Amino acid sequence: MNKYNPPRMNPSSLRSRFATRFLRSLSKINAKKPTASSSSPTEIFRRYRRIKVAADKSMAYSVRSRRTWSRAMLWKLRTRPCCRRSVKTSTIVRKTRHEKQNKNTTTTTGEDGVVFGVEADELRELVPGGEAMDLYNLLDETAHYIKCLTTQVQVMKKIADFYSP
Amino acid sequence: MAEVLNRTAAQRQPTWNTRGLNSATEQVGNWFLNPNWNNSMDQSDPFESALSSMVSSPAAASNVPVSGENVMMRELIGKLGNICNSGDASCYSTPLNSPPRLNLSMVNLPNQSTLAPFSADPGFADRAARLSCFSTGGNFGGLNDPLMDSFKLSGNQSVNVNGTQSNQNSPMAGNSGSDKKNTGVSRSSSPENAESGVSKEESSVSQQIPSRNDAGTRKRKSIPRGKAKETPSPAAADDKVASENDESNSKRSKRDGAPAGNGNAKATNDGDEKRSKENSKPPEPPKDYIHVRARRGQATDSHSLAERVRREKISERMKFLQDLVPGCNKVIGKAVMLDEIINYVQSLQRQVEFLSMKLATVNPRMDVNMEALLSKMFQSRGLLPQGIYSMDSSAQAFPFGYQPQQGLPLNNGIPNITETQFSMKTQGFQLPSINGFTDANPQVGSVWEDDLQSIVQMGFGQNQPQSYQGSITTGQVKIEL
Repeated sequence: MNKYNPPRMNPSSLRSRFATRFLRSLSKINAKKPTASSSSPTEIFRRYRRIKVAADKSMAYSVRSRRTWSRAMLWKLRTRPCCRRSVKTSTIVRKTRHEKQNKNTTTTTGEDGVVFGVEADELRELVPGGEAMDLYNLLDETAHYIKCLTTQVQVMKKIADFYSP
Repeated sequence: MAEVLNRTAAQRQPTWNTRGLNSATEQVGNWFLNPNWNNSMDQSDPFESALSSMVSSPAAASNVPVSGENVMMRELIGKLGNICNSGDASCYSTPLNSPPRLNLSMVNLPNQSTLAPFSADPGFADRAARLSCFSTGGNFGGLNDPLMDSFKLSGNQSVNVNGTQSNQNSPMAGNSGSDKKNTGVSRSSSPENAESGVSKEESSVSQQIPSRNDAGTRKRKSIPRGKAKETPSPAAADDKVASENDESNSKRSKRDGAPAGNGNAKATNDGDEKRSKENSKPPEPPKDYIHVRARRGQATDSHSLAERVRREKISERMKFLQDLVPGCNKVIGKAVMLDEIINYVQSLQRQVEFLSMKLATVNPRMDVNMEALLSKMFQSRGLLPQGIYSMDSSAQAFPFGYQPQQGLPLNNGIPNITETQFSMKTQGFQLPSINGFTDANPQVGSVWEDDLQSIVQMGFGQNQPQSYQGSITTGQVKIEL
C-alpha cells in the first residue's frame, strides 16, 4: 500500500508524446548552456526562444501531419530558424511570407456572413495554417489547436512546477 | 353568402388555425401516404376514393360549420402542399422526399370531412387549383390526373368567384395578423386570410392556373410553409420543417408582394414580417413570383440546401468549441463566441510563451531533466520506460545516477520524489514556493523577477491549468482573475 500507483495514462496519447519530446529537447537545451552565462538576460532570452520553438516543434511533431495547423507550424519552424543563418533560407522565408499574404481570406456568406468575415480573419491569424480554410475547417482546426495548446500548457506547467521548488 | 362565410370563418379563425388545419391535413395526408408517391397512375384510384369518402362524410359532420370546413379544406390542401415541401428543398429535387414528409401533417384529424364545401368554397377551389399545380410539379406522382381534373374545374370556377371577393381582404388582415391579403384574387374567405400562407398561395395559385409550370410547384411549397407555421405542434416536431415554414412565411410575404404590387400586398408583407417568428434574415426585396425559396439570397434549391447543411455544420462546430472554451456557455451568438474563442487562443499562446520563459529562467537551477521526466511519469503521464532510458543517454550532465524506477535516489538536494509528493503535485497546481523561483535567478533582471513572481503567484497559484484568466503579456503584468 505504500507504493503509489499513479493512474497509467495512454502512452501514445498526445500528452505523453508531447511530454516526451519536449523533455528531451529541454534536456538538450539545458545541456548546452554553460551555467555561468545562463543567468544573463540575453542568454535567458535566447534559451526562452529555443524552448518556445522546442515546445511548438514537439507539439507539432506529436500531431504529425494529421492536422493542417501542425503541417503549417512544422513548415514554419523549418524555415524560420534557418533564416538567421543563411541567406538562401531567408529568401525562402520571404517568399513564404508573400505567399501567405496573397492568400485570400474567405468570408462566409449567410446570415452571419458579415460577422464571420471579421472574426474569422482574426482566427486565421492565430491558428497556423488557417489562412486558406473555409470557416468550417477553420473551426475544426481551432478546436484541435485549442486542445493541443491546453495540453502544452499543462505539461509545461507541471514541468515548471517541478522545477521551481 | 361568401361574406357570411367569411365572417364566420374569421370568428372561428383562432380555433381553426391549428385544429382544422391539422385535422384536414392529416386526413388527406393519410390518404396520400397510402399510395406510393413514385408510382404514376396507380395512386389516383385510392385518392379518388379517399376524396369521395371525404365528400360524403361532410354530410355527417355537423359540428363543423361550413366556413370551418372551408378553412379546413384550405388547410388540408395547404397541408398537402406542405407534405411535399415540408422542411426541405429536396421536394423540388426528388419526389422521393415527399412521402416521409407526410407524417408531419399527421395530426389528429377529426373526421369532419370537409369535402362538402369542396366546390362551394372559392378558397378551397383556389387551393385545389394549386394542388393541381402541385401535381404538375411531379411530387404527387400518380395523383396528378385525378386531382387535376377535379381541382382544375373547381379552381377555375373559384377564380372567377374570388375575383369578386378580393375586397374582403382588408377585414381579414387584422385576423391573420398580416397574412398576405391576396392581391385580389381568391381571397374568397377570411379563413384563407387567417391562414397566412394559405391565402397567399391561393391568389398565386389562381393566377398560375393557366400557366402550370414550376412556379406552381414552388408556390405550393410556400403554401405549406404558411400552414406549417400555423400548426406549430405538428411541424415543431421537425425543426427543419419549422424553420422552413418560417422562411417560407417570410418568403410568401415577399412573394405575394411582388405580384400584388398594391397596398394590400404591402400590408401583408409587413404583417408577415412581423408575424414570422424568425426574422433573423433582413427582409429582402420582394422577389419575383417564381422565386419563392430565394429568401436567403439563394437562387436555387440546391444552393439553399447546401447552405443550410453548411450552416448546421458550422453551428455544430461552434457548440463543440463552446465546450472546449471555458466560460462560453453563457454566450449565445456566433460573433461573441468567436471573440471568446479568439481570446482564449491568444491567452493560451501567451501562456505557452510565459511558461517557456519561466522554464528558461528556472532551468539553470535544475540540473537534472530526468527527474522531470520521471516526475512526469509518476504524474500519470504514462511515459514508457524507453523514453526514460533514451533520456538517460542524452542527458549526461546528471550529477548523480538514478534508476528510472519508482524509487529513484536523488542526491542533489531535491526532496525525494515520493509518490505522495507527486500525488500532491498532481492534485493541485499550486506553486510550491516563490522563493525557489527567486533564488534561482538572483541576477535576473528585476523586471522579469517581479513580473514573473507576481504572475506566478497569481496566475498559477490558484488557477487550474485550463484557466486562461491569468493572461500575461510580456513586459506587462495583466492578471485577470
